[in-house]
Amino acid sequence: MSAHDQNSSVVKKFQQKYWRTKQTLIKVSGRKEDEHVVASDAELDGKLEVFHSIQRTCMELLKVTEQYQRRICNFSQEENELGVFLRAQGSRDKTRAGKIMQATGKALCFSSQQRLSLRNPLCRLYQEVETFRYRAISDTWLTVNHMEQSRTEYRGALLWMKDVSQELDPDTHKQMEKFRKVQAQVRSTKTSFDKLKNDVCQKVDLLGASRCNLLSHVLTTPATPIWMLPRNRAELRCFSLLLCRQTRPGRG
Amino acid sequence: MAYAYLFKYIIIGDTGVGKSCLLLQFTDKRFQPVHDLTIGVEFGARMITIDGKQIKLQIWDTAGQESFRSITRSYYRGAAGALLVYDITRRDTFNHLTTWLEDARQHSNSNMVIMLIGNKSDLESRREVKKEEGEAFAREHGLIFMETSAKTASNVEEAFINTAKEIYEKIQEGVFDINNEANGIKIGPQHPTTNSTLSGSQGGQHAGGGCC
Repeated sequence: MSAHDQNSSVVKKFQQKYWRTKQTLIKVSGRKEDEHVVASDAELDGKLEVFHSIQRTCMELLKVTEQYQRRICNFSQEENELGVFLRAQGSRDKTRAGKIMQATGKALCFSSQQRLSLRNPLCRLYQEVETFRYRAISDTWLTVNHMEQSRTEYRGALLWMKDVSQELDPDTHKQMEKFRKVQAQVRSTKTSFDKLKNDVCQKVDLLGASRCNLLSHVLTTPATPIWMLPRNRAELRCFSLLLCRQTRPGRG
Repeated sequence: MAYAYLFKYIIIGDTGVGKSCLLLQFTDKRFQPVHDLTIGVEFGARMITIDGKQIKLQIWDTAGQESFRSITRSYYRGAAGALLVYDITRRDTFNHLTTWLEDARQHSNSNMVIMLIGNKSDLESRREVKKEEGEAFAREHGLIFMETSAKTASNVEEAFINTAKEIYEKIQEGVFDINNEANGIKIGPQHPTTNSTLSGSQGGQHAGGGCC
């Protein structure tokens, strides 16, 4: 009796594997899946799209931030060198032009310093997004993977059920026994899939909300120096221009 | 148990309209407010008497959830009667009736008797679909119509039995070929006279139909 039980459980495992593999093949080969089964997962698939977009745009944001940061550094360096150069040349020139050069050089050096101060908030943004990607996104990604595995199990079980439903007679004991076995399999895979489906939907919602939160938090803090900088530079330019006008030849 | 005829019924309709509760009320005469989701199909059976004849109703209670749609389609085959159920407190379940009807007509035999049922008639205060709308839909598509309540058992017996009567009449009129099991009708073992005459007169016809 126990040998028989063991035997039948081995057969059951084998059958489960067969239908799971069949479903995997359908998915991998891109064959058309049951439209009703696909339609019943529409909400989930919508959330998955949102998740992939979050994943992608976070990656892009990281890249852009990194580039931005690097370019600021280069620019600041060049600006500073130009400033130093102008100041050196200005100190050699004893005319008013020299004075202007010195003033402009000073302004450029100052501006290059200011520009560098943008790096800190940018680095912070980078770190925050990186942490978000590393923790929140990868956590959701794990759940998504679990869900996909469970979805394959469930859809495989549905294929199996469809197969045994072709010839079903409730008055035939043997057929019913088989059907009950498949039904139990569908029920258990459905329960775990529904749970993971729900988890994924909730996690993606949370992920979207927390990213909004993160960005609005990080972007309001460094906003101050970003907006400060052009104003300072504008003021500096005005100042230089004023000097220029005063020292224009023919006037003085 | 001995029966003169066996009719196969299917119950179809959106998820949560009360298909399983209707079956439970009809077979067990009880009501369960919270019912587990039906996976694929569940079965029920009950004997009724029409015109002095014992008739066994074999009822297939199908899953309403969309992911089971392709599976439940294979249960339509060979059904003599169908109960198409909607929930009078949920307009969307009424709106989906045409899809269900198309599905049923496409996957079953053309003589199948379809009974339209507006369930949950006890929830009058939450009603979203008027009785007249159900009647109009049934008239338009040639169905029988009834409002039922699986909770209070109102009209539940009538719904199942009236469908059986309709099928029985069709048999009497000769619309159904009772020897063809694809029609969802089986003749019981204790029907010696009819059985022998029918198998004698129509057996050859049937076999002839089968080979082409």
